[in-house]
Amino acid sequence: MKRVLAAIALAILTTSADRLDAQAIPAPPVQGASAPDPSEIVGEPSGKRLTGDALELETKRVSALLRCPVCQGLSVFDSPAEMARNMKIEVRDLLARGYTGEQILKYFETSYGEFVRLQPPLRGVNWLVWISPFVALLLGGWIMLVRLRSRPNTSTASDESLASSQLLDESLAPYLASVRRMAYDNPDDSKMSAAPNPGPVTMGDQK
Amino acid sequence: MNRRVLLVGLAITIPAIILFVVSLGRDPHKVRSPLVGRVAPDFTLLEAGSGAVVRLSSLRGKPVVLNFWATWCVPCFAEHGVLTEASRQLGPNVQFLGVVYDDKEEKILQFLKENGSAYPTLNDGGGKTAIAYGVYGVPETFFIDPSGKIVAKYEGPLTPQLLDSNLQKAAGRS
Repeated sequence: MKRVLAAIALAILTTSADRLDAQAIPAPPVQGASAPDPSEIVGEPSGKRLTGDALELETKRVSALLRCPVCQGLSVFDSPAEMARNMKIEVRDLLARGYTGEQILKYFETSYGEFVRLQPPLRGVNWLVWISPFVALLLGGWIMLVRLRSRPNTSTASDESLASSQLLDESLAPYLASVRRMAYDNPDDSKMSAAPNPGPVTMGDQK
Repeated sequence: MNRRVLLVGLAITIPAIILFVVSLGRDPHKVRSPLVGRVAPDFTLLEAGSGAVVRLSSLRGKPVVLNFWATWCVPCFAEHGVLTEASRQLGPNVQFLGVVYDDKEEKILQFLKENGSAYPTLNDGGGKTAIAYGVYGVPETFFIDPSGKIVAKYEGPLTPQLLDSNLQKAAGRS
């Protein structure tokens, strides 16, 4: 590993024009910490700064449209995960600063990809997601219709089926009568329910 | 078998098999981030312990390895050793930055005391920077080239080999 890292270091030394001090951080002209600014991605806030109940309601609506990245099909609003909790706080902060719901969705989409939207927008290949259920329904209906129309006359088929089952019954009749005689002591199936009840089995019966 | 049924079955299963075979060869840790190819979102965070202010955009001119991690993340332990060792060897040529996702300052300092430190560790309390980078979980590492553009993202603990190959990209060597 040392050789490889040394080679990389040499490569960087020969390509990089800048020479900065060893792991030293130049002090930037800023005070305090600040996360990346969403306005650089989605522009300045174009909505109204929300507060109170309006803020809570909009936070719920927007976070319900965002997918929790670490969950299985849960929205940010529904998920108890730490990541979802942080994302919900971020949504609330952005709404309070005047960003619109669509700006917020776009901001998250820029960092997480379109996957973060629970409802894929109607564009490009996403049309397939919305249209395919209807296409599948129409296709299935058409296949069923074609099959039902191409089926042979059902009444004739039923008659033939009934006749063959009667023939089968006649050939099996002696055996069936024999089984009934053994089981119910009567070859006539109309008296099956009259079979003697053996009663509950007790420990004494097993001896 | 009905020929039509066979054709419909093949029309459904063949694309599914192709998709399966193609996906099988992919590394699930190589996440295609929408940020790859774009300028890294700028941030200003405070270094754990010293409170020194670190601004990402002030580091342009050399490759940056931006590693999101946390003290409660088990795979981050092993990875921390790999990054620390690489940082010591590469010295000033590559800037390593650790961004601790949603963790407590005292736990971060304890971790660094026990495991050593060779580069700035920044505290991202509330995880706003992690959200801006589309972080799913820790560890995740972004490789930024000298112009400030993200050239690669890796999800999961880095090995020396993975670090080397991604650093080559950040240095514009591949």
